[in-house]
Amino acid sequence: MLSRKSRADGGLALLAALALGLYLVFLVLPLLLSLRGSFTNENPLRATNEFVGLRNYREMAGDDQLRASLVFTLTLAVGVTLAANALGVAFALLLNRTRLSYRVMRTLAFLPQVLSGVIVGFVWQTILTQDGLLNNVLMSVGLLDEPYPWLGTPRAALFSIGAVVTWVLSGFTTVVYLAALQSVPIELNDMATMDGVRGTQRFRQVTWPMIAPGTTISVTISLITVLKLYDIIAVLTGGGPANSTQSTALYIVRLAFTSDRLGYASAVAMLLLALSAVLALAVTGALRRREVSL
Amino acid sequence: MLRKTFLAAGLAGLLAVTACSDGGGGDSGGSTLTYLTFETPSLTSTFWDNSIKAAQAEAPGVKINRITAPSTDRDAYAKQLQASGQFPDLLQSITPSNFVGAGLLKPYDEAWVDANFLLPQGNALKGEVYIPPTNSQIIPEVFYNKELFAKAGITGPPKNWAEFLDVCAKLKAAGVTPFTLGGGDPFAASMPLVGVFSADILGKNPNWLRDRYAGKVKFSDPDVVAAVEKYRTLVSGGYFDKGALGVKYADSITQFTGGKAAMYPMGSWFLGSAPKESADNFGAFPWPTDDGSVVIPFVVGGSMAISAKTKDPEGATRFAQAWSLNPANLKLLIEGDGAFPMLKGKTLADYGVTVTKVFEDSFAYVTADNTKVNAIGWATNDDALPPGLNDQFYAASQALFTSGDVKAEMAKLDQAWTTATNGPLTQGRARTPSRGPGPLTRT
Repeated sequence: MLSRKSRADGGLALLAALALGLYLVFLVLPLLLSLRGSFTNENPLRATNEFVGLRNYREMAGDDQLRASLVFTLTLAVGVTLAANALGVAFALLLNRTRLSYRVMRTLAFLPQVLSGVIVGFVWQTILTQDGLLNNVLMSVGLLDEPYPWLGTPRAALFSIGAVVTWVLSGFTTVVYLAALQSVPIELNDMATMDGVRGTQRFRQVTWPMIAPGTTISVTISLITVLKLYDIIAVLTGGGPANSTQSTALYIVRLAFTSDRLGYASAVAMLLLALSAVLALAVTGALRRREVSL
Repeated sequence: MLRKTFLAAGLAGLLAVTACSDGGGGDSGGSTLTYLTFETPSLTSTFWDNSIKAAQAEAPGVKINRITAPSTDRDAYAKQLQASGQFPDLLQSITPSNFVGAGLLKPYDEAWVDANFLLPQGNALKGEVYIPPTNSQIIPEVFYNKELFAKAGITGPPKNWAEFLDVCAKLKAAGVTPFTLGGGDPFAASMPLVGVFSADILGKNPNWLRDRYAGKVKFSDPDVVAAVEKYRTLVSGGYFDKGALGVKYADSITQFTGGKAAMYPMGSWFLGSAPKESADNFGAFPWPTDDGSVVIPFVVGGSMAISAKTKDPEGATRFAQAWSLNPANLKLLIEGDGAFPMLKGKTLADYGVTVTKVFEDSFAYVTADNTKVNAIGWATNDDALPPGLNDQFYAASQALFTSGDVKAEMAKLDQAWTTATNGPLTQGRARTPSRGPGPLTRT
């Protein structure tokens, strides 16, 4: 007869195997298949394909649309990561109270994060379009004489997308920084107060170093989220005007299912994966070293 | 197949939503066929369910499982379904040229097509018809607001390019924005470019697309650049709203119908959106040519394609034929989508439709003996663009709104063409001359 501990271990092993199985089937296997596809001329409409070696990877070097999408994606990722984390810290400091009203506001702050990207895109499209809410409000209060094309020029569309994605991510970063703030020992703050360290000085010398692990998590996840961003952009601008807001993820889907170039799309997906991994590792490494030094 | 399924899942996992619904399922036995549809404000879920039930009554024993594309881009969704081994049995209003090269579609019986449609070869590929040519559109027409024209002292629509520019100048001088453009939606942004290209290039050489496939002509050729410069003339003249690229298609309709601009280059489906109570205030004219000759950019659309791999080809064909010939389905398309019916032996009255004067005037361009060309970027027959190039063409329309370097933008299209036609499915594809749209003979 099996002991209770053996049965528990068996149950845990079963759960772990299930999780591992799901991970392998839905993440590792598609990844390996995509890697293999990147060396072929795979087309979604054909049953067979041919091995083309490194041709897809060589083609990327001269692909202007890919280059533009990478520049856009990286610009957005850096800008949004900085802005969302700055907002997250600010909101967390404001909401780090125990009263009911603050708890309600914390929930509200997190709300954008739980909304579907598609819904966010549609809502903000209604707000930012030429005849949208924002222009109507700004014109009614006299701040604008004529509608501003928030989504109608490459630069304005970049900033508009950046603002929307920052708004969405700020919910996540706020929660991370709130958790980090609540892990700061009260005694440390009390001692700082007794030593006459207050306000921004206390934030710089006590709070900021203590929430460094939260910063590492928040910055890394924000960066990865924006690097693979698809849904909000697909709905908000569709990559326009003139492909100027086409993220690399959006470009991959178009290559695969509009241009029928699944093999090349897989190669670009591998590039995006490698880029995301390198950036995430570099940023995580730098922030971890910063944690130690603080 | 498993490998493709996982690969497609990995890439398509980037997509946020898909939609799927059952509708109109019959219960009279036989196999169940999947039917890919899409929904718009005109083509609602109720419309599809009712039309399916009506077709099932004519094709007893056929059960239908309706699936709905998550957006109006049913081609891309059909490709995702194919990549994951779920290619539908029936596919509504797709672009056959995207799928025929892979042998995914089954052609309709030629005798049946010839017997029932005014332009049997209107959307044929190498002489084979994959979608019954039930209706057609003009893409684009230039719709205009008669009151605003009168306000600017303009007595009638322009007959040629010089008069067109004169109309624009008069409108601007009278404080009226000459054009509205739904530039935030790439397809809507493409209308002026389709207009100038059709009038100046296809009007002179209706086989231009086939020549492009054969490498005889290019987008960066001087005549194309000169034609596209005309679009730039309109932009740089300040005849469009400065923020036009931020205007969504739906908003452009309300801008135009609300009197915020005097002209609106758009597909004839706008006729379905023109408010009935003020429809007489709107007129339409073809995109003007230099010499005043009439060139109609024309597209023959239709109903559904049949999968070559369907498990019940006979049932699928019976259902598709019944759906295609049902006047009730076309009634809604005529009234709600401004479609011009193409069923043989029927007049507008046979569909029981109520149409506006501007619809009748537009329809007259379809039935008249004039130069009809396959609208670039919209044709689904032998003049269809290679896969992926439509998006580039639309993007060029947006880019030309802010960039004056027409030659560079056209060179980008040539480069995109080369990339798109290098695939094994498109090499040497569909270069057999088709009969083209030609004039219609109403019977």
